[in-house]
Amino acid sequence: MRPRFVILLVAVTALLAIVPIVGSPVMVQFGISTLLFAVLAQSWNIIGGFTGYPSFGNSVFYGLGVYGTAIAMAKFSLPFGVGLVCGAILAMLCALLIGLPVLRLRGQYFAIATLGLSVAMAAVFSNIEIAGANIGLILPLTRADGMFYELSLGLLVACVLCVFWISRSRFGMGLIAIREDEHAAASMGVNTTLYKTMALVLSALFTSIAGGIHAYFITFVDPASAFDSTLNVRMVIMTVFGGPGTVLGPVVGAFVLSAVYELLANWISTAAALLFGVVIVVAVIFMPRGIADLAAGIRRQGISYLLQNIRRYRL
Amino acid sequence: MNAQVTPLLEISRLNGGYGAVPVLFGVDLVIHPGEIVALVGNNGAGKTTLLRAISRVITASGGMKFDGEDLLPLTPEQVFARRLVQVPEGRQLFGRMTVEENLLMGANRRGNRAAIARSFDWVYGLLPKLAERRRQLAGNMSGGEQQMCAIARALMAEPRLLMIDEMSLGLAPIIVDQLLAILDTIRKQSVAIFLVEQDVFAAFSVADRGYVMETGRIVQTGTAQELSNDESVRAAYLGAEAGA
Repeated sequence: MRPRFVILLVAVTALLAIVPIVGSPVMVQFGISTLLFAVLAQSWNIIGGFTGYPSFGNSVFYGLGVYGTAIAMAKFSLPFGVGLVCGAILAMLCALLIGLPVLRLRGQYFAIATLGLSVAMAAVFSNIEIAGANIGLILPLTRADGMFYELSLGLLVACVLCVFWISRSRFGMGLIAIREDEHAAASMGVNTTLYKTMALVLSALFTSIAGGIHAYFITFVDPASAFDSTLNVRMVIMTVFGGPGTVLGPVVGAFVLSAVYELLANWISTAAALLFGVVIVVAVIFMPRGIADLAAGIRRQGISYLLQNIRRYRL
Repeated sequence: MNAQVTPLLEISRLNGGYGAVPVLFGVDLVIHPGEIVALVGNNGAGKTTLLRAISRVITASGGMKFDGEDLLPLTPEQVFARRLVQVPEGRQLFGRMTVEENLLMGANRRGNRAAIARSFDWVYGLLPKLAERRRQLAGNMSGGEQQMCAIARALMAEPRLLMIDEMSLGLAPIIVDQLLAILDTIRKQSVAIFLVEQDVFAAFSVADRGYVMETGRIVQTGTAQELSNDESVRAAYLGAEAGA
C-alpha cells in the first residue's frame, strides 16, 4: 500500500474520532449505527467475501453477542467489558460447533442451512428463562453516546486491520483459494476444514462484539430484534455494494448505503425504502463487483467499464 | 537397476476404495528417487483411485511408505507437507487468479520468502512461457499453458515426488511432447515423477519403468522398453495387432 494512502486513512480515522466532540447528538447516534454496520459488513466479508461462503448465520452470531452481553449485565450485574467477552465466547463457540458440520455444504445449500439456524435461534431464546423468554431483557441505562461511538470506531479499526492482515497472509491466500476452487485448494495442501472454520469464528468474533455494543447502547433486547435475519441481508448488501473480498469495500459500502438511506428518509420518508431498492438495483447493474472494483475499473478503462457492465446484462 | 537405493515410495498389498466399495486389490508399486514411473490402464482401472489413496483422501489398508515413513496415518495436508505433491486431473487451476498467484498457492505451506523467490526463478526458468504470462488470469490461457501452470504450481511446493494425473488429456500431441520434454528436465533435477496416463505412447516415451493396471490390480510391470515391446500390452493399449 502506498504511504500517501495510509496517511489518508489515518486522517479519515482521526476525523471520525472527533465527531463526538464537534458533532450533534443526532450525528453521533447515526455514527454509532453506521460504524456498527460497517463492522457487520466487514465481518461478513471474511466468510462471505474472502472464503465465498454466503453465510446467513451471522445474524445468529450478532444475536448471541447481544444476549451474552445482556444476560451478563442484567442478570449477573457484571461489567460491560465482561459482558462483551461472554457474548464473543458464546458466538465463537457457536461458530465452531455449527461450522464443522455446516461448512461441508456449498453455495445455496450453505445459505439455506445457516438461514434456518437464525430462525431456530429466535425460537430457542424465546423459551430461555434467563434470557427473559419472549419479553426480553432491560440493561442498565448509561448516557454515554460518545463512549459507544469511540468503542464502535475502535472495533471497526480492529476489524479492518484484521481483514488487512488476512488479505496479506497465507491464511487469506488459503481462503481465496477455497473460494476459487475448494478441491484445488485441498490438493495444494490447504487444510480447508480448518481454514473455513477459522474464517467463520473470526467473523463471529467481530459480529458478536458489535451486537454487544448495540445491546448496551439501546438498553433493551428481545429475541425478534436480536436474531433478525434482515440484518444479515443488510450485511450482504453492504458488502456486495462495496466490494466483497476487498479490504475497504465493505466499510465504504456500509458508509455510503447508510448515508443514502438516511438522506432518503429525511427527504421523502414514505418512499425511502422504495428508492433505496432502486439505488441497489442500479448499483448492482453498473458495478456488479462493488465500489472497489468500480474505482479500479474506471482508472483502467474509463467510462467503457460502465458500458461493458451494461452490455453484459443486454439492457 | 535401483536395487540398492532405498525406495522413495513403496506400496505393498494396498487395498482401498470409496466407503464400502473396494477399488484397489493388493497393489504393489515402488518408485525410486529420480525415476519417472508410468502407471497406465484403461478408464476405470483404478489409477486415479490409487493417487487418491496415496494423497490420503480415501481410506486404504496395507503398506504405504514414503521415504521410510508410513503414509497411512497422515492427513492430506501432512502428505503435501512431506513434499509428495499431486497435479490433479483436469488441472484444477484457480481460473480467476493470475498465473503468479496460482504459483504462490503451490508455495502456501512454505514460509521462507527467499526460498520461494528462488523457486519462482527455477520454475520460470523451466517454463519461460509462464514468465511471460505471469500477470494473466490462469483461466484465460490455452489448455497446454494451463497444464504447464498446474505443473509449475506443484513444483512451487518443492516436491520430492510429483504425481501427475492424465497430463495429456485434451492436449494436442505436439503440446504433450513439449510437456514430456519438460518432465525429463525436471527429473534430472532429482524430482521423481509418477505419471498416470491413458496415453501409453506418451507415458512410455519418457518413463524408466511402468506398471499396467486393470480392474484395480497391477497386471504387468517392467521397464518402459519391455512393456512397449510386450505383445499383450501392445494389443491392449497401443492399438497393434497381436503378433504383428
